[in-house]
Amino acid sequence: MSEMRVLIVDDSSVMRKIVERSLRQAGLNPMTVFEAGSGVEGLEVLSNQSVHLILSDINMPSMDGLEFLRQIRARNLAEGVPVVMITTESSEEHVKQAILAGAQGYIRKPFTAEQVKERVLPLVAAVVGG
Amino acid sequence: MALNGIRMGAGRWRGESSEMENTMAQSLRENLHLVSDPSNLDLSVEEVFSMMLGAACHPVEEAPVEEDETITAVVGFGGLLSGACVFRSGGTTALEIAGKLTGMEFAEIDDTVKDAIGEVCNMLAGAWKGRIPDLSANCGLSIPAVITGSNYQIHVQAPEFKLHHIYRFESSSFEVTIICDGLQ
Repeated sequence: MSEMRVLIVDDSSVMRKIVERSLRQAGLNPMTVFEAGSGVEGLEVLSNQSVHLILSDINMPSMDGLEFLRQIRARNLAEGVPVVMITTESSEEHVKQAILAGAQGYIRKPFTAEQVKERVLPLVAAVVGG
Repeated sequence: MALNGIRMGAGRWRGESSEMENTMAQSLRENLHLVSDPSNLDLSVEEVFSMMLGAACHPVEEAPVEEDETITAVVGFGGLLSGACVFRSGGTTALEIAGKLTGMEFAEIDDTVKDAIGEVCNMLAGAWKGRIPDLSANCGLSIPAVITGSNYQIHVQAPEFKLHHIYRFESSSFEVTIICDGLQ
């Protein structure tokens, strides 16, 4: 697999590292990770970097994950790049909102590395043709 | 401790029609036994520790080991239910939990440890409300607040109900409290 470029958006630096570790365990290597602590920071990264995959929390200060997702789509940033929400919010309503905003995947916290693999790898394969 | 001041995150209650609010509030009141069911809290704690730390964790009757330095994380609930999920442990336990969660070693309660404990509390709060259908979509979570120090107490005046359990994690123990100070 060619080098993956991944943006992880979460206000918790610990959670960003855990998500990165899960992705590496899922086989996403080599991988360059860009980190953002809010939706605002995520948009800044996307205005300067191209990525293959975005994983985002929902509950964050400054700009939450759903608004971040809407802004990505509205600004035509990261076109065709799959977005997976990773969040403690697990209701059907939240999943529906995420899908309407343009998310392709949804992982509930707490999660296992296996769940990350199952939900993320098919999306990555579709993007990089692997 | 005033819970109202905790800023709500994206999952906050987003005013639907008042008829729907009333129906959901009524449903929640009828299912109050689910909200106050202690097994929901135990299962949530076990799930978070098993999935994120790869560690077994179970409720115990004994009092937690008191340490000079303690850490408390608070995640507020807002919407159909207002209140908070509170995690509290001694400093040594916090270092062990943060170490298990991150795969790192910590000698002191630094920002990473505080972040880790805040996230544990966040996942506990989310897992707990996710087990109660009426709350899952209609109760938002705040961003975690973390307090460290010694000889402090958190006091909530006249809560509607409170669940307070102590859990053993390896050789350490910690407390999780669900405080409900109001139902809509």
